[in-house]
Amino acid sequence: MLRLPLALGVLALVVASPAAAEIARIKQSSGIALVERNAQRLKAAPGFQLLPGDQLVTGKDGRMSLTFIDNTRFAVGPNSRVSVSEFRYDRTRQKGSFVTKVDRGSLAIVSGRIAKSDRDAMKVRTPNSLLGVRGTKFIVAVPK
Amino acid sequence: MIRAGLAVAIVALGGCATSSLVLLPDDEGHQGAVAVLESGGAQTEAVIAEGNSRTKLGTKSPVAKPLGANGLKKQEAALLTGLPPPAKSFLLYFEQGTTTLTPQSATILAALRGEISARSGPEVEVIGHTDTVGSEADNDRLSMKRAEEVLAWLASQGFDRSMMSAVGRGERQLMQPTMDNVDNPANRRVEVIVR
Repeated sequence: MLRLPLALGVLALVVASPAAAEIARIKQSSGIALVERNAQRLKAAPGFQLLPGDQLVTGKDGRMSLTFIDNTRFAVGPNSRVSVSEFRYDRTRQKGSFVTKVDRGSLAIVSGRIAKSDRDAMKVRTPNSLLGVRGTKFIVAVPK
Repeated sequence: MIRAGLAVAIVALGGCATSSLVLLPDDEGHQGAVAVLESGGAQTEAVIAEGNSRTKLGTKSPVAKPLGANGLKKQEAALLTGLPPPAKSFLLYFEQGTTTLTPQSATILAALRGEISARSGPEVEVIGHTDTVGSEADNDRLSMKRAEEVLAWLASQGFDRSMMSAVGRGERQLMQPTMDNVDNPANRRVEVIVR
């Protein structure tokens, strides 16, 4: 009788831990540069670990750069709001899916292994478009 | 009712903003592409593949225009300058059946340490591999031990363990495909990816 709840507890732990695993790290930041996670606003200092769902927010003099675990690189410009809406990556198979939303501001992207793994496995959404990334370097700008 | 109206208004406003895409060749000079799957609320078949081009998004059929003589805007150039350095990979090789580095690979450790030290907010992924000599289960253990050996050395050099992770992939990802039970120096390796 006692065994079942215990087993369930272990199972929950196993499932919960990959979800909390880091997906990217902040490399540099300057000015007002924050990570919004649920109701929290956290300082985007170098070495800060990102989780899926995090929003990257900069002020008018703010910037930040980050590298994801699939080698994708981001540079976020001033006055920006960028959300990592979806990030799933299997390190062993080097496959996954990645959706980024640029609500405002500017974002430079050098795509990594997820974009290479399958056609349009990496997508970028702006208020008026949806882009499928096919292995490249580009800038998306969304003026306010 | 009021809320719904407001939400629609915001979406419509967003649709009016002239988002743009600047497509560039990657650092190796290779030109990739970006497909415009949806634009201005409609699906499109447009694929932007011209390097050094600018595309206005939100129209029904987006068309790329060359950047021309003016090139990148100042803030676009600043954005590219701010990109982190690309990930760098190091390969370390091992003596048969052991966690002992080959003498040649031991000389690479200083370069590896230098690369991590030079980076801001680094992350280090250590991946152990073996050749096909021995059982799969033994090789899973050996590959993990090799990765842990490298991780322990990095920790001894003062790098925080929270920036590092180690995995062992046994004989599943051979650098040089071989039959089972083949002694192969190229397959007895640890890859260290520094981001």
